[in-house]
Amino acid sequence: MILVLTSFNGFPQISEKFALFTDRDVYASGETLLLKVFAPEAEQSGVVNIDLLSGKGMRITHAILKITGDQADGFIYIPDSLSSGCYFVGTSTRTNKTHTLKEIYIANRFADLPESNAFSRPVVDQQRIEKPIPGLRIQGIESRYKPREKGHFTIALPDECRPASTEGISVTIATTLQEYNGQNFFVNRNSPVSPITDKEGIILEGVVRELQSDHPFKNGVVYLSIPDSIPGFNYYITGSDGRFYFLLKDYHGKVPIVIQAFDKAERQLVRISLNEPATIPVDFLTFETRNFSTEFRRCISQNTSNVTFRKIFNQPEVTIQMAPLHKPDPYPFYGVATTTVFPKLFTDLPDFSEVSRELLPGVKFRTYNRIPVLLVNNSAQQNFFLQPPLLLLDGIPIHDLNLIKSMGSKEIDNVEICQSERFFGDLSFPGVIAIRSSKPDYSRPAVSDELIKLNLDAIQLQTTSYTPSELPFNEPDLRQVLLWKPSLKPEGKLEMDFQTSDICGHYKVVIRGKSANGEIYCKEQFFEVK
Amino acid sequence: MIIRIPTLIALILSLVSTVLVAQEEVPNNLNSEKIKGARFTPFASYPGKPFLNDKFASGEIEFNDGSKIENLKLRYNSLRDEIIYFNNANSSHIIIDKISLKGFSFTQEDGIKRVFRRQYYDGYLHEERFFEVLSGGRISLLCYRKADLETCDTSISKSGLNYESSFKYYAYSPEKGYLPLKLTRSSLLSKFSKPNQKLAKRVLRKNKIQIADEAGFIAAWNLILSNKIPIDF
Repeated sequence: MILVLTSFNGFPQISEKFALFTDRDVYASGETLLLKVFAPEAEQSGVVNIDLLSGKGMRITHAILKITGDQADGFIYIPDSLSSGCYFVGTSTRTNKTHTLKEIYIANRFADLPESNAFSRPVVDQQRIEKPIPGLRIQGIESRYKPREKGHFTIALPDECRPASTEGISVTIATTLQEYNGQNFFVNRNSPVSPITDKEGIILEGVVRELQSDHPFKNGVVYLSIPDSIPGFNYYITGSDGRFYFLLKDYHGKVPIVIQAFDKAERQLVRISLNEPATIPVDFLTFETRNFSTEFRRCISQNTSNVTFRKIFNQPEVTIQMAPLHKPDPYPFYGVATTTVFPKLFTDLPDFSEVSRELLPGVKFRTYNRIPVLLVNNSAQQNFFLQPPLLLLDGIPIHDLNLIKSMGSKEIDNVEICQSERFFGDLSFPGVIAIRSSKPDYSRPAVSDELIKLNLDAIQLQTTSYTPSELPFNEPDLRQVLLWKPSLKPEGKLEMDFQTSDICGHYKVVIRGKSANGEIYCKEQFFEVK
Repeated sequence: MIIRIPTLIALILSLVSTVLVAQEEVPNNLNSEKIKGARFTPFASYPGKPFLNDKFASGEIEFNDGSKIENLKLRYNSLRDEIIYFNNANSSHIIIDKISLKGFSFTQEDGIKRVFRRQYYDGYLHEERFFEVLSGGRISLLCYRKADLETCDTSISKSGLNYESSFKYYAYSPEKGYLPLKLTRSSLLSKFSKPNQKLAKRVLRKNKIQIADEAGFIAAWNLILSNKIPIDF
């Protein structure tokens, strides 16, 4: 009976948890944190959210990484404004029942460490999520190097470290502070697991409610628009729970998105809201006070200075690779235009009424009793549609005709007109007019109860650690990460090269990977730069 | 046991209730591609068949990215080379945008499955066309199921116009392009070299294949290709 209850309540098994590793444990504000994630094999999500959390659990920043071959790697930029203290980096997905957290220390590089000489560390049940593997050998690492010295080593992987299914192992060389080790621990999810998996991309979800009663609104039409040269578009018709979902596939970096909802019958005013991502509950944690050692203070002080100098010399920490080209549709969702007009090529016309009258065939834009009306001619039947057409301004559907009323020919780059009844799924549009302004400005449709604009952080672009080819001797090399190879193909022998920077101190070589039985293995070795 | 059963029922009910609370209306498939198209405007009624299938037939369409939508009511418009589907939500006949499709197929009332694919026709009147695939393979046998509005005797149509089928057959390979064919034995045999013609004739004679209609031509084509007699193409 206990077993049955346990399975129903979903206590997570060890193999169901993410493993999260960062390049270091101590950072200065303004630095870039590099991270590597190993996903459980049964993980259904295709993306993992990485959150940087304050000690009280407040989300500071986040990144979305694509899981490829049960692994993901990426970075988090640590804001300059963070105060010194303990922070957490945590994983979350729509389907995993457990969050994996890693404790890190961030020192503000503009403020000295507290005079009290004390800081708080969480009291957690630290979990060792990796295990050393005896057969794994690192050969050729010296115990001591000079600054800017080239190094070479060989990694000999035993067979158990080379499963065919695993895509890669990670190799890191970075500074280490031996008296501060960031703790790894797990936290159970405090929100229900979503029944909708995001295997193929990011899922945006939210609710449409009646404005007056706040009840979920059924049969609400929700538009999602992504302004672009060929605008992205999708729609969702809400059920009785008022919820809507959109899947965003193959979008990387920052993506401008406009979501709007309305009642197609125009009987109700509605309010749209997006669901916030699940929070990682860390508010139950207790903290204990620790004192800084002299060495710790010295290292942090040196670290913050290094980061500042690095910024002065404009030395990047990571190189962001180009986004994989998002293959747009061959033509817009509203179809191939019957006519495209470029008003700029004609004489100046002061407003859209004049533009439509003089330049746009089959388009009627008039103002009756101060109410603008827009109609499109149905070319098949040679009469005007009785309903207003779908009007797009820079790829965003708009309902308020006053937004285009004052647009003259100088402000319009082109107008595409579809003079037929167009269909997109179950939606029908009695003609389409797509206006592209001279200076695309996505701020024109105002944010309201029915319209949300967001600059979505889509899947993070692939990054590599920045390694200078040849720095002149009068320019300091202030890298704290000498090597960051998060996804190397696990072969029998791996030859690695690195070059030390100008920063003296202790460094750690760490090799991590996932063995055939799903366990995370690791091997560590230390050296000093003096 | 008497005490245990109510306890178990209560336990099961409590578990069921927690499951019910967590349930949401799960959308069918967020990833499904939406059909893009325009409303079909009926054209003038004349004798003849402007559509390949008189009634909507159940079938599927395949988009350019390989995703498919099944169980659609489809009808091929031979006059304009369009595929029309019936949208239940709008009760509308919608012409699916040709450039959004890789192909489509439907099964007629008589159980015959027709498979079409979109290809660029580079001959006279070059354009994207839907071709019915009569026989697949490295060299495929295709048919362009075209109908035209032609003049006719007023005894057939008072207006002097009727729809006439003008199907065009091609052998097609991606490397060599289109080779026009006629539904005759001599047309088929002319596509083989002299020694292979003899072989082809022998195979047709042995299997008693008569090329009197389209079905006979397809059977002959498949038989010759299955005997690995190379076509002169």
